[in-house]
Amino acid sequence: MFAAFVQGPLVRIIPVGMIMLALQRTIFVELQVDGVIIQVMMATAAAAGVAGGSERGALVGFVFGVMFDLVEGTPLGSTAIAMTIAGVVGGLLALIAADPQWWLNALFAGLGTAVGAMTIPLVRLFIGESDPFQDRLTVVVPVVAVAGAAMSPVLVPLGRWCLRMKRPEWSRPIDNEPVS
Amino acid sequence: MAIYSVGRKRVIIALLLTTVLLLTLDLRGNPVVDAVREGFTVAMRPVEAATGVVTNPIERAWHGIVDYDDLEQENIALQEQVDRLIGTTAAAEAAVIEGKELQALYSLPSLSGIDTEVARVVGYSANNLDQVIEIDKGSSSGIEVGMPVVNQAGLVGKVTRVLTNSARVMLVTDARYAVAVKVTSSDQVIDEAPTDTTPSGLEPDEVVAAGTTTTTTVPGSSFPVPTYPNGLPVPETTLPGATADPVFDENGRQLTPDEVAALEAAIVAAAEAASSEPTTSDPGTELAEAAAEPSSTTSTTTTTSTTVPIIEKEYGLIEGRGGFRLPQIKFVADSPSLAELQAGDLVETAGGSTSLAPPGIPVGRVLNRADRPGSGGPLLDVELHADLDRLNFVRVVLYKPLSEVGQ
Repeated sequence: MFAAFVQGPLVRIIPVGMIMLALQRTIFVELQVDGVIIQVMMATAAAAGVAGGSERGALVGFVFGVMFDLVEGTPLGSTAIAMTIAGVVGGLLALIAADPQWWLNALFAGLGTAVGAMTIPLVRLFIGESDPFQDRLTVVVPVVAVAGAAMSPVLVPLGRWCLRMKRPEWSRPIDNEPVS
Repeated sequence: MAIYSVGRKRVIIALLLTTVLLLTLDLRGNPVVDAVREGFTVAMRPVEAATGVVTNPIERAWHGIVDYDDLEQENIALQEQVDRLIGTTAAAEAAVIEGKELQALYSLPSLSGIDTEVARVVGYSANNLDQVIEIDKGSSSGIEVGMPVVNQAGLVGKVTRVLTNSARVMLVTDARYAVAVKVTSSDQVIDEAPTDTTPSGLEPDEVVAAGTTTTTTVPGSSFPVPTYPNGLPVPETTLPGATADPVFDENGRQLTPDEVAALEAAIVAAAEAASSEPTTSDPGTELAEAAAEPSSTTSTTTTTSTTVPIIEKEYGLIEGRGGFRLPQIKFVADSPSLAELQAGDLVETAGGSTSLAPPGIPVGRVLNRADRPGSGGPLLDVELHADLDRLNFVRVVLYKPLSEVGQ
């Protein structure tokens, strides 16, 4: 069990998550764009989904979300659901292209981040908060999505490293070689 | 490249169900979850501190680029505001002290006897939905969930979660915040620029520089309210806006506690002497004699006459509406026969046996009034006294409502 943990992705996801959480709570609270706090952890979850698929993206989103909820004091699981969904959406969108260009990765990561950001008030609504859908959401979601897309050239490789994955190498199949 | 399969779908569903389980456990209240939360928060503290040190130059560079013009404009505006407030501080203090006297006279609850705990703001919410700050004092300092939090200007919020050495404070602007308030008004707005604060012809700053003793009277009570030679009011109260700050003489030297005590004793004696002989015709002369004692330097007299009849108009409930919208007062009924609710009215906490906030904490001022059809009554937008975007130090009022005392 210990060996499985050491060789699994969690041994990298947790420390990376702690650093991202510290960044989220320090510098990204200050570096607001039009009063919107950029959700770097959400963007990382979506980027991990783009890099490793929906299942691994969901795992990264779940771990990041639980860490975020633990420190932020938000209901435990409320942000975790949103980040899990962000990772899943990023991974599902990445199925569209076999070997996507960087800008496609950015698009997928941005969309995953946007879906995650929209999920948070939805979850809050389900747990009994009154009026979590504020007008401000029309500004928050686009800004968070664009920021997630802009950071994806860094976050996708980071997600790939967290998941112990290598960049896929595609080669042209040889016509005469039998398919095994 | 990822390939979608049924097996992977199961993993995703399992993770989502786990989040729902965690959510249920946390919302129902679970000590294990609370312990894990506190432990992880403690574990994150050094990581955040190190990250803060590393990223500090980036933050400063960012603010230098983005906020410079705003800062310059704000500096100019604040300077104007400071100039205006210097002249009106004495009048405001007079109103506060008179209010305290009346409260004591009628045995009404007052903030004076409630202990407070000063705390530093160490963090802001990292999401775009909640209006929450984190302070560096917790249950080890006697802080409990529900206690109101104020700063020098007025109400800031309430404590919603307490750890051993930290606590989270939900700000008044959070959409989940609500507290009972009362709307009051005065015929004269207190913070307007005074016209007769310096009958000797000196500007307020010149008065301070000359070591002048300033005395303010409130007609009706004929009670002199002295201030220190440098213009600072006597730090007698624990109300927001008046704390036990250090006292300086006209040369900028900080007075020792003994000197402050002697000064206060002299002021009280002067006040008692003046109150025993009410002044109506020419208050300036007699009050000057009464209040001139504390200062050994050159004294001139300044008298401000301010009429502040307070009218309690209506009680209601103030609710936050998010960071970019003003809090709003609901459940108020407009009664023109008594007094009409209007922009400029003052708002302060109403108190009550079940309210989490004691009465009398200033909240803000009514900025807009929106009438609604039917019996809903008007909605009042409130501009808060406290600037919630720039909180450095706050004061937790260690207050428990009467209904919870002893529990």
